[in-house]
Amino acid sequence: MAERKKRYALVIDSRKCIACRACAVACRAENQVPLAYTRNWLNQELRGELPHLLAISEPEQCHHCAQPACVRVCPTGASYQRADGIVAINDRECVGCRYCMIACPFDARFFREDRGVVEKCDLCKARVDRGEMPACVETCPSKVRVFGDINDPESNVAQLLTTRQFRVKKSEAGTAPQIYYLL
Amino acid sequence: MKQIEWGYLIICYLFLGGLSAGLFFVSALSTFLQKDGTPTRIARWGALLSPWPVTFGSALLVFDLGNWYRFYKLFLHFQYVSPMSVGAWLLLFFSFVSLLYAFAWLTPEQRNTLFARLPKRLPRLQIFNLDLTAHRRALAAIGLPIAVGVGIYTGVLLGAVQSRPFWNTNLVAQMFLFSALSTGCAVLLLAIAMSRDTMADSELRLLYGLDISFMILEFFVVIPYLVHGELSSRAVQDSLKLILGGPFTFTFWVLFLGMGLLLPLVIELVEFAPAMFSKSALAVRRPVVACTAVLILAGGFLLRYVFVFGGQMSKFE
Amino acid sequence: MNRRRFLGFAVTGVAGATLASSVSYLPWSSPEKTAGVQRKEIPTTCEMCVNKCSIIAVVENGKVLKLNPNPESPRSRGMVCARGNAGLQQVYDPARLKRPLLRTGARGEGKWKAVSWDEAWDFAASKLSEVKQKHGPQASIWSSTESFAETFFKSLGLAFGSPNVERHPTLCLASVNLAYSLTFGTVPSFDLANAKYIIMSGANRLESFIMPDTVDLIGSTTDRKARLIYLDPRFTVTASKADEWYALRPHSDLAFILALINVIVTENRYDKQFVSAYTVGMDQLAEHVKPFTPEWAEVETEIPARDIRRIAREFSDAAPRAVYYAGRRSSWYRDDFHMRRAQAILNAIVGNWDRQGGMVPNAKITLGELMFLPWDDPQAPRVDDMDKNFPLAAKGDGAYLKMRENILAGVPYPVKAWMVHKQDPMNALPEQSKTLRMIEQMDFIGVIDVQMSDTAWYADVVFPESTYLERHDPIEMLAGIQPVVVMRQPAIAPLHDTKPTLEIVQGLAKRLGLSQYFDYTVEQWNEAQAKDLPIDAPLDYLRKHGVWSPPDGPKYGATLTPDHRFGTESGKIELYSARLKQFGYDPLPVYTTPSQPPPGKFRLILGRKAFFTQANTTNNAWLNTFQPENRLWIHPKAASGIGIRDGDLVQVTSAAGSIRVKARVSEEIRPDCVFTLHGYGKKSQWQRLAAGEKSGGCDAEIIETAWDTVSGGGAFHETFVKVTKV
Repeated sequence: MAERKKRYALVIDSRKCIACRACAVACRAENQVPLAYTRNWLNQELRGELPHLLAISEPEQCHHCAQPACVRVCPTGASYQRADGIVAINDRECVGCRYCMIACPFDARFFREDRGVVEKCDLCKARVDRGEMPACVETCPSKVRVFGDINDPESNVAQLLTTRQFRVKKSEAGTAPQIYYLL
Repeated sequence: MKQIEWGYLIICYLFLGGLSAGLFFVSALSTFLQKDGTPTRIARWGALLSPWPVTFGSALLVFDLGNWYRFYKLFLHFQYVSPMSVGAWLLLFFSFVSLLYAFAWLTPEQRNTLFARLPKRLPRLQIFNLDLTAHRRALAAIGLPIAVGVGIYTGVLLGAVQSRPFWNTNLVAQMFLFSALSTGCAVLLLAIAMSRDTMADSELRLLYGLDISFMILEFFVVIPYLVHGELSSRAVQDSLKLILGGPFTFTFWVLFLGMGLLLPLVIELVEFAPAMFSKSALAVRRPVVACTAVLILAGGFLLRYVFVFGGQMSKFE
Repeated sequence: MNRRRFLGFAVTGVAGATLASSVSYLPWSSPEKTAGVQRKEIPTTCEMCVNKCSIIAVVENGKVLKLNPNPESPRSRGMVCARGNAGLQQVYDPARLKRPLLRTGARGEGKWKAVSWDEAWDFAASKLSEVKQKHGPQASIWSSTESFAETFFKSLGLAFGSPNVERHPTLCLASVNLAYSLTFGTVPSFDLANAKYIIMSGANRLESFIMPDTVDLIGSTTDRKARLIYLDPRFTVTASKADEWYALRPHSDLAFILALINVIVTENRYDKQFVSAYTVGMDQLAEHVKPFTPEWAEVETEIPARDIRRIAREFSDAAPRAVYYAGRRSSWYRDDFHMRRAQAILNAIVGNWDRQGGMVPNAKITLGELMFLPWDDPQAPRVDDMDKNFPLAAKGDGAYLKMRENILAGVPYPVKAWMVHKQDPMNALPEQSKTLRMIEQMDFIGVIDVQMSDTAWYADVVFPESTYLERHDPIEMLAGIQPVVVMRQPAIAPLHDTKPTLEIVQGLAKRLGLSQYFDYTVEQWNEAQAKDLPIDAPLDYLRKHGVWSPPDGPKYGATLTPDHRFGTESGKIELYSARLKQFGYDPLPVYTTPSQPPPGKFRLILGRKAFFTQANTTNNAWLNTFQPENRLWIHPKAASGIGIRDGDLVQVTSAAGSIRVKARVSEEIRPDCVFTLHGYGKKSQWQRLAAGEKSGGCDAEIIETAWDTVSGGGAFHETFVKVTKV
């Protein structure tokens, strides 16, 4: 019987996000990202007038799309997608043309001036390969992010997606993003 | 985008790449069309000029890279779905062919002068001192599709990016191609206008004919781009606001479309019209020809300016 | 050239390029680790705030790379917050304290000389001895904030002969702790994971302090297991997640609570069985709350009477899984104690005591004790004269602000020496000008810290402590609904010439003739503490796991037996407190309409952000980046009245001082209040990111001195400020 292909994805429940920034700092420590850059970010919005106010905190990072435009446009193959769906960058092959940055609908990539290469969230693939969660998932006090293989019907993520309504961002860009925001 | 990544280096490269493609195209066409075996000035000048803009542009491109000394990695891979990878290889072949083609258009005296300058200690290099004159048509034939490729791919580079609504249409490739070909004509017109020799009627007819055709084609690509865009999805409509009220409105309509495309088109039509259906010689004045050419070149540059910046400022919400 | 040559040329060219690629190795190493790297995972305990989460330090080649959550700790609920993750910066901060320093210029000038430990100890001990000789040992204060090693520091002060031990609670939660203690005999924890109805006054649990209550609260509210009613003049993160948020008039929480009690009592919604079995004073309470109707409370609080009534009914319906959350930092108002008392009474009468989803007395794990030589208790009375001023308050914590007043007045006796451990009184105390005057009066100031705090900046000698990732500490028992024992062991050897607190204390003790009281190592201390734990080889277990908790889970109801004696005078839960009356305080909370800021002024309120811990993390680069500058929150209506827009620099003036800070004009605060963060405008130039006016104003300069009348704890929301455009 053919082995089912994995697809790692994130399910995010923004209602639980308290904007504490644990994920931002954990990512910085885990991936040694200098202060000038960040691999994940928080979309914050405030609406209304006193006393009827709404505050939204929505975490975001690379969506590890199923049809990643960034991988398609890379001229050296430095930008690649693993069999399990994680989109990563091979530092050694990256020439720093930044085409992938322009191709990304989410502006998830950034250019490292000090190294001349492009960088982004890689779902802490070294941790994932050791059987651990990405740092942002593990560290969160509210457990806003859930990580797993959506092709595995027993996984947390798969079950959340069958029992809850969700949306993805910028689906019109046609990249099939794999961060699912619960509604 | 959080910040603009591709700036003036890329804009210049796209312009110069298109220019080389256009020069090669006109020269090659001229080579095929010459009737009595006497080579035309256009063919020669086009051939001799064609390799250099793209070479300089490619240098700009290499230095725009994050790690410029890794540029050779582009030639260790061929990612056929990546317009940049395809383009890099096209550039490589085009550079090679256009240099050979230019070499084929050197007169024997020019060739010998060139080889006389080579170091005397390497006499074996003299074996390259070959007369390729007979191969001009063959080289033109090989290089023509590659030149068209170079002209088109600069547009595909942008057009294939699905996440930038300002670009994501196959019309961008056409727009850039016709603009590129037109700028090629413009450089040759400028060269003719600035040279001390008389301007041959056959040259003018060819250049005017080609240039007017290219500009009309370009115009009829810009129109559907706008119309289709306005009738398209909300994201595309929003992105078009960049040139419909946004920061690039003046540059696009007045500088590019007006002064860079329509004005030269009208001037050339006015100059060419009397001679179009008759055998009478074109009555053109050098200053007008030169200015028209400069306007076209500025227009070509500004087209790429608007598109490269505007595209990076457009996104899906 | 023929075709063959042409082809040959081309092929050579391509071959050459391919050859060039084989020398393409460039020395950028990706974050992926290559084989042969030494990687260790060391369980330990975080020290970035008071929660003491269990973490696992990942160490590679002698460098701490990451701090991961330790999933085995029920206390930390498998998380590490922003500050916990940023703990690495405390270790590798180039501006941290690296060796002992002696002041060479004037105090606050920032001129230091690096010295050996012997020199530093000799100097400190000689100065302390001098003070002891001239004025007696009581002429010294030993102030600290909580840490695992605080006990050694305190013991040194007591062994030295000084009764003046001042601790963190007097600046934080003295009033709430005392209120609950006097009511229940102990301070309970709140079972937010299982509660169904939660009311909070301030206590911005989702933002001001990340702890298990945070995790439980966000889980229970967003998963719709609990309803959250939240009162705060400011739209905090907790307000944004609450089911109902009331921007009540500041300082009127007591009115709200009294009205809730009124409804619950008059509509007979209280737990009669519980009240009669376990409490005293119900009759007095019922009589007392008669005037506090929801209609009366609406006038005081600006919360609609019908909502107050409805909330009271919903609260009692949900009981016993209904709690009025006590909060942590209760340093608000002069009568804060009474508001917390009212909370405690409300919680008591709905019978949520020692029940799942209610308030649960903390379970403990018994630790052993190292037997060491006890010293004689200090003879002199405390300088803050707790017995006279705050007879019911926790004497061991002191009353910091009263102490400062007395010291400045020179009563009841002069105080000339000040030893500080881990605390930053320059920022922790309000009215910084007074702290500076107190500093001037000192003949000697010695500070133990990991960074050059503002207080260290004004000290005479600075002892650099090893950071929490570089030292062994005593094991600590953290009481709670699910108690834990945690251990702290070094992830790496100290990077610089630093020492743990016990060794610093021992160095001083030796020269003060007090070594006999500190003749043990921290290992011996831990051996003694751990030996009674019901596990095999407890220290080995703790070294391997970092934390231990009794496996049988939380227990409820242990105190709900007829013969249980509560730790109060009557042995029961005291709704009416005769003890309070005995000492001249109101036995039941009395409400007086609080003063409000006069026209043209605003009440300054305080609060915290999730990525800072008080004032000591604002210089941590990984945290500072989230808010590099302080801001004054002000409502748009108030701002336009003064003519300021978002980002304008404003002058904020109180009776205590004046600062400059940029305005943040936002709907998220009542028009009669302004809000600012803590820990900016530092004086210490070693805290580059948070220092000086460019980082924004220092709140400690403008908060006026006030304290809670019963507990002596700070009251920091009593300041009215004038705000003008600069």
